[in-house]
Amino acid sequence: MAVPVRAVTRCWRPAALCQWLRSGTPGCQFSQSTHSSGRDTHFGFQTVPEEEKGEKVYRVFESVAQKYDIMNDSMSLGIHRLWKDWFINHMNPTPGTQLLDVAGGTGDIAFRFINYIRAQREKLIRNQTKSQQNLSWSDISRSYSHDQLGPLMGSQAVICDINKEMLKVGKDKLQRLGYSEGLSWVAGDAEELPFADDKFDVYTIAFGIRNVTHIDKALEEAYRVLKPGGRFLCLEFSQVNNPLLARLYDLYSFQVIPVLGEIIAGDWKSYQYLVESIRRFPPQEEFKEMIEDAGFFKVNYHNLTSGVVAVHSGFKL
Amino acid sequence: MLGLSVSRALCKCLSPLPAVRLQPLYTGAVLTAAEQQNKSSQAFDSSLLQFLVCPLSRKQLRYDESTNELINDDLGIAYPVVDGIPNMIPQDARMIRKDQKPTGSDQESE
Repeated sequence: MAVPVRAVTRCWRPAALCQWLRSGTPGCQFSQSTHSSGRDTHFGFQTVPEEEKGEKVYRVFESVAQKYDIMNDSMSLGIHRLWKDWFINHMNPTPGTQLLDVAGGTGDIAFRFINYIRAQREKLIRNQTKSQQNLSWSDISRSYSHDQLGPLMGSQAVICDINKEMLKVGKDKLQRLGYSEGLSWVAGDAEELPFADDKFDVYTIAFGIRNVTHIDKALEEAYRVLKPGGRFLCLEFSQVNNPLLARLYDLYSFQVIPVLGEIIAGDWKSYQYLVESIRRFPPQEEFKEMIEDAGFFKVNYHNLTSGVVAVHSGFKL
Repeated sequence: MLGLSVSRALCKCLSPLPAVRLQPLYTGAVLTAAEQQNKSSQAFDSSLLQFLVCPLSRKQLRYDESTNELINDDLGIAYPVVDGIPNMIPQDARMIRKDQKPTGSDQESE
């Protein structure tokens, strides 16, 4: 276990927690000699050299990959599923859509995307049969040739994640569930995507962008790989706008989540990082401006659960 | 079987429509499903080549079946395909030629 149980009980008291946060556990302290670009960034509430952040984030997700889904369910009380469902409904993809899901390691978005496309196709077929009750034989044969497009009608989801462990877990999971058609998995960096220009209809990044070292660079890459008319969609933790809920949320985040992390995944530090990184991420309006700076048009956002998470959307025109 | 006899009757009714057209469609679907299962688990999915480029030069890549790598001939970099997942992170790539270095990669392999 990363943190002894004694440490857990000690840190339960807010004052002790703050002290613990400031001092950091021995394993969290970094040598200062590795500054090479001289530029610092944040890793949770800690300040680290830019070069180190990527590696640290990598280690966090490598260690949580196996328990990622069960942790998401227990930490959010299952609400993350509703957020992701809302996200896909908001996207409203049509059959044929080419999706790039960045930081989509465990396949949560891609899996919902495929389901949505399948449902859309069924609706389409139902409507067609409703309007054509007296089919001629040629209509029937045409309906067969229609099937040649496949159950997804040409839709494809490419899942790109920098973390190979998360990809492995996601790929295995979706294969077990019987999802392999229309899904491709690629290990790649959001800041230098291995995809050609103007390739995708939709770019999604769900609970991923706050872990990227240079958010502006990731946004520029999103813009580059999208087709003109393509849409950028981001689901991310944001700022709670209800003061009462904000207090409760803070209490829950700092007092409960790391403890849950320790109990379920045996990893306090990673979940401590997750909570801290949420607080460091720019609030709704500021992030909206960042998306506009990358060149996107018609940028807007929707708060879900009073702003615990927000969905930002923008178009490349 | 009911389904079989129905489809047989259907084929008979459709004399202008060749019955063979219905048959390959069905077997084709079965084959692709089986293929897909096999393909996606281990081998590289070559349909990805339409999207993939080298993240450093943004040039098209060539898939080398013998080494199971994606190769950028211009820069002399080979990206490995592990369990069917191409690893497009420059730091993990292998250099084919020694004279050119991909930016930001100190180690040749993990």
